[in-house]
Amino acid sequence: MTTQTLQAIADTNEWWAIAPEMLLACSALALLVLEIVLPRAQHRFIPHFAFATQATIFILLVGGVYSEYEGLTTFGGLLQHSATGHVARVFFMLSSLLVCFLATICLPRTKMPRVEFYHILLAVTAALMLLAQSNHFVMFFVALETVTVGFYILVSYGRENALTLEAGLKYLVLGALSSAIMLFGIVLLYGAVGRVATFAGGVHNGFEFGTVANFLHQHPDNFLATAGALLVLGGVAFKIGAFPFQVWIPDVYQGAPTPVTAFLAVSSKAAGFAVLLTLVLNVFSPLQAVLVPVLSLMAAATIIFGNLSALTQRNTKRLMGLSGVSHAGYLLLGVTAALTVPWAAGAVWFYLFTYLLASMAVFGVMAYVGGPDDAGQELQHYEYLARNRPFLGGVLAVGVGSLAGIPPLAGFMGKLLLFVAAFQAHLYWLLAVAVGGVVVSIYYYFGWIKAAYFESWRPPGPKPEAPAPVPAAPSWVGVVTLTALALATVLLGFYQEPLTSWLQLK
Amino acid sequence: MITPVLAVIGLNTYLHVAALLFALGFIGVLLRKNTLVVFMCLELMLIASTIALAAFSKFNGTLDGNVFVFFILTIAAAEVAVGLAIIVALFRQRHTVQLEELNHLKH
Repeated sequence: MTTQTLQAIADTNEWWAIAPEMLLACSALALLVLEIVLPRAQHRFIPHFAFATQATIFILLVGGVYSEYEGLTTFGGLLQHSATGHVARVFFMLSSLLVCFLATICLPRTKMPRVEFYHILLAVTAALMLLAQSNHFVMFFVALETVTVGFYILVSYGRENALTLEAGLKYLVLGALSSAIMLFGIVLLYGAVGRVATFAGGVHNGFEFGTVANFLHQHPDNFLATAGALLVLGGVAFKIGAFPFQVWIPDVYQGAPTPVTAFLAVSSKAAGFAVLLTLVLNVFSPLQAVLVPVLSLMAAATIIFGNLSALTQRNTKRLMGLSGVSHAGYLLLGVTAALTVPWAAGAVWFYLFTYLLASMAVFGVMAYVGGPDDAGQELQHYEYLARNRPFLGGVLAVGVGSLAGIPPLAGFMGKLLLFVAAFQAHLYWLLAVAVGGVVVSIYYYFGWIKAAYFESWRPPGPKPEAPAPVPAAPSWVGVVTLTALALATVLLGFYQEPLTSWLQLK
Repeated sequence: MITPVLAVIGLNTYLHVAALLFALGFIGVLLRKNTLVVFMCLELMLIASTIALAAFSKFNGTLDGNVFVFFILTIAAAEVAVGLAIIVALFRQRHTVQLEELNHLKH
């Protein structure tokens, strides 16, 4: 390698293109510095600083400040800035802001340090944004592991709560297992592709997405490469909680602090789908003959398992987790359809946005209803919620209704778009499974609304000794945020034009 | 380029060792009950990938694989640091590291 080649690679380092991620990482460090520098009385302003930076980056991203880099490949091929990558950045930023909001409700109830939470949250969000734009397996793996290790800490954040630690340990063991499987897949792909010399004198290898795609195009039946691709997809399936890799979901969702559960449910799942879309559509697309049956079977099994196991749940966090598994199934249906119907990728992102709005509204209500020990949130805690706190009851109804896919709400439009895409891709039997799953899901989602709105019958006699705590009254920030989420969910059900045109849904 | 000893051993030998180690680690994670042993098995799986990576890198003639090994080692170190911290904190709460006793989250 000569100095000229090194110079040429260094010239592709466009630091401005990743300014949002750099800014996030720097402000994550600044939070820790602020904690040392500021006097103790002013520590409560540190979360405000985290909010302010994230809101600034969010506005810059939505304003399209970084759109001039779209289509460019920077850092010697490590990153590719695409329109989808931009959508993913906006998504992760919005989700991170909302998780921050949930943290301001939940963290003060415990004795846990607060600043570190925001620090890890910002670092993980920066890594998520890089992950969605990675174009190279080394970048991909390092970003993914930054996210995963950050999540290990966040899941076990309440280190004085044995349940949280147990959830953290389970996430750690299964997360590390899936990472190891994925790493072996990456290594196999690297080995199968070997050394690819170009006419210009450059050398490419099996870490670059483009090179792997070319190789698979020429040798679609190479055993080593197919095995590698399947192992990598297995690792991604763990992130999204698809069927054979969903065992961790209920326990981890239940044990993790509520803001972290929301972060896992929304950002981690969306990251899995962002990566899955890139890999399936751009890198492994020559393997369609293998991918379509594998993905369809996985989607069907995920939908069936998620819905059936959610039926009997009384713990709301486990319910969110298991119903989230079924949502991953519907999204997998969209990914499978995207192999033949190009606009289905936009439909997947539309669904993810509706899922973000609805889930965050529901998790916001859960944050207010839950007490100091938020692992034990049962459905009966929601009794009288609509009477005691009509506002929270309303937001819950909108959020849960959207997750169930009730017609005027955004979740319905999301499901409709995915199902139309599946229909156009001729995935009829899979579509039948998905529609059946939606019908089943109405049962448990309505059980939740019922728990909040109607009194359940009790046998006459002495009252239970421990009445459920009356949920805290939301602050004005909470009222504004939850109203905005519920309103967006309702409006997006009637009028999708701005979002669909931005996602380039045709 | 390839030294005589390497030529005799061949790429497949390295891959067999790597696959064996990977399978050993995988089975260990599934079957062992002690959290620390499970954790060691996880590291074994990462090391298996590292061996395969170094072998591929040598036989393919691209240096990138060797560089990736350093990234993997760093990540493994971070994972161990966090993982052992979680295990120690859990031991303080529960006084056990046996997986079959860590089932307090509702099924």
